[in-house]
Amino acid sequence: MLARAFAAQVQGLAGRPVEVQVDMSTGAVAFFLVGLASGSVREAKERVRSAIRNSGLPFPQRRLTVNLAPAELRKDGAGLDLAIAVAICLAALGKPSQAGLAFIGEVALEGSLRHVDGVLVLAEGLRRAGLEKLFVAEVDAAEAALIEGLEIYPCRTLRQVLDHLLGGEAIPRYQGRPLAVAAAVECPWDLSEVQGQEAARRAVEVAAAGGHHLLMTGPPGAGKTMLARCLPGLLPPLDLPDALELARVRSVLGELEGTSPLSWERPFRAPHHSISTAGLLGGGTGLPRPGEISRAHHGVLFLDELAEFPAASLQSLRQPLEDGRVTLIRSAGAVTYPARFQLVAATNPCPCGYLGDSGRPCRCGPGAIQSYQRSLSGPLLDRIDLQVTVHRTPPHLLGRPAEAEPSVLVRERVFGARRLQLDRQGCLNSALAGASLRRWAELEPGSRNLLQRWSAERTLSARGFHRAWRIARTLADLAGDGRIRSGHILEALGYRLDELAA
Amino acid sequence: MSSLPELEGLRVRGRWPLPPGHRVAVVGARRPTPYGEAVAERLAGDLAQLGVLVLSGLALGIDGAAHRGALAAGGCTAAVLGTGVDVIYPRSHSGLAEQILAQGGCLISQFPDRTPPQRANFPRRNGTIAGLVDIVVVVEAGLGSGALITAEAALSLGKPVLAVPGSVFSPLSVGCHQLLRDGAGLVQNARDVVAELGGDLAVLDDPLQPPASLGLERQSELGRDPLLAYLSDSLPAEVGHLAARLQLPLSETIARLSRLELEGAVRRWGGGYVRLPRGGGRPSARR
Repeated sequence: MLARAFAAQVQGLAGRPVEVQVDMSTGAVAFFLVGLASGSVREAKERVRSAIRNSGLPFPQRRLTVNLAPAELRKDGAGLDLAIAVAICLAALGKPSQAGLAFIGEVALEGSLRHVDGVLVLAEGLRRAGLEKLFVAEVDAAEAALIEGLEIYPCRTLRQVLDHLLGGEAIPRYQGRPLAVAAAVECPWDLSEVQGQEAARRAVEVAAAGGHHLLMTGPPGAGKTMLARCLPGLLPPLDLPDALELARVRSVLGELEGTSPLSWERPFRAPHHSISTAGLLGGGTGLPRPGEISRAHHGVLFLDELAEFPAASLQSLRQPLEDGRVTLIRSAGAVTYPARFQLVAATNPCPCGYLGDSGRPCRCGPGAIQSYQRSLSGPLLDRIDLQVTVHRTPPHLLGRPAEAEPSVLVRERVFGARRLQLDRQGCLNSALAGASLRRWAELEPGSRNLLQRWSAERTLSARGFHRAWRIARTLADLAGDGRIRSGHILEALGYRLDELAA
Repeated sequence: MSSLPELEGLRVRGRWPLPPGHRVAVVGARRPTPYGEAVAERLAGDLAQLGVLVLSGLALGIDGAAHRGALAAGGCTAAVLGTGVDVIYPRSHSGLAEQILAQGGCLISQFPDRTPPQRANFPRRNGTIAGLVDIVVVVEAGLGSGALITAEAALSLGKPVLAVPGSVFSPLSVGCHQLLRDGAGLVQNARDVVAELGGDLAVLDDPLQPPASLGLERQSELGRDPLLAYLSDSLPAEVGHLAARLQLPLSETIARLSRLELEGAVRRWGGGYVRLPRGGGRPSARR
């Protein structure tokens, strides 16, 4: 007597369908669970047995074998519980399994259904495999319904699912479709709150307009964190594909909100410098899980006190910065997670923090300053287009009513510049390099001469040359100017740090 | 003054004994302003051209600038080290040390060979510098700067101390101003040093004009960006403040500063911009 039911297993950001097969045969009473099941899946035996009994359903007193196919796929977690329970009940009752149905949920001992991480990617994988109806715990219904083309049935208990399958009381299909047009997002941090800091404000605006990575240097309390927090509020809300991509990451991590799983808000992640490389890039036992850089996908990754981060962690950011995704290879397998974030980094100019500050003397020796700044230089810094010094606001400006330009006005210029870029080249200026830079950011002879002269006389590296070039393109776009004028080049050359400039 | 008492037990690399003639120490802060660096370079260069032997401590900042200035003028200079004579500290100055030896100068140390840099040795070295020279010139020194130790040692040996004035806003000139208040002679250019040595003033260019001998390219003030008038040569000006004071858009202010930087008229320093003194300072911001 054979029964089957479909579920799915998260692998990276993909949902792989799993077929649960149940066979009952004569012999000593036993319950075998096979098919590369990890510890948490083997525990399903106990949960499922209790749940079936406590739901008033018969648990077969036979030799019971449950197979999870395909056998080469490692199964984790409790999401297969519901499918196992349903298949066992159908086998025990001798009822046929219906085609096109899938079940995802953890069962509690009394038979109620609980939330499972990754429902979004599981539902997507099942739809792709041709399944039509998905039974999930009520709390997961909104998340599953983000996938179009699947009928979602929100269930409270195992009993309810069985009643529905056996022709009893039917579960009403989930009607909500949370997909909506991208809505404007309120950012609680506004540039009008930033007093003084004209140069840094301008740098944040340029960063938002061209998607450029940004490094701010300045003494403690200069407002670097505040400026960074304003950046998401200057960016357009996520569009649907981007929001879904981010939702997949959050789904796998179990960080989606049950009632409104899709968020249009750009993420802002600010991990502390004590974070491990695994926490930053992704990792964990078994197949690695997404890290902070994937949580910041399509948003802002803010690294405060950049020099305090372990050098190895910073080095490992190079591949994601280049590719917009991170590939993690472990013994359990390789996964790739999206990680197209905008990096905003902040650092003190020296170990004590007050180098160049007018209000407080710096107490660091020249050697200490050099080694501190050297720890920041190198390949990571090379990838940060915009570098700017932030000064402490003089006390007499603090506490004044806000009179600086608010984010909403800056946003208009930023949106305009981004539209120009996307219409022209299909990507932001920060993504231009090599041939695409030459093609889309053509330099007038005067501008080219200026850049070349600077490069020759001021020992500007090739990377520095391209950084200034990209920034100049964004400055021109912000001014609504199709051509890159010498003024744009000159301003772009101003966005580098004194000693750190490469 | 050639009868100054030589110190005992010195280790020397390079030419020894020191060439006859006057010896002047040019010392100061390890993290000077571009102004201080330019003064040290030019002063040492002018002195070296007159055949004065410039001594300093091979440290970062003013010391290095003084050695460089003397070498650039084709002169001879001697470095008194706080380490063993075979240890160059800071390491970034090993090229400079080689250059000193190559141009007929020497490295001097009172410490045994292979002595690593140790905090306590540098003040002792400063006293040795004072012992070896006729005059000590302090270019830039904050309060508590090691250069003030050299000055004190010179005074206790009865040798004249001169100081270069700076901006009253600049913390790096506080030490110099204190010396001046206490009776040190004021140095505006090499003439003032030579006068103190009792030398011939006529050999020098007019102090208010940049010395033609340095051969630095210069533009007239006319036709230069009026923005320059708002910049100091020792206090960094913040871009935002400049834009506000000039009532210019920020982007234009940054662009004009970059233009001036390209022309070698300003330099980024201390998180802002400073004006480069005419006829001095190196064009590159890189160390």
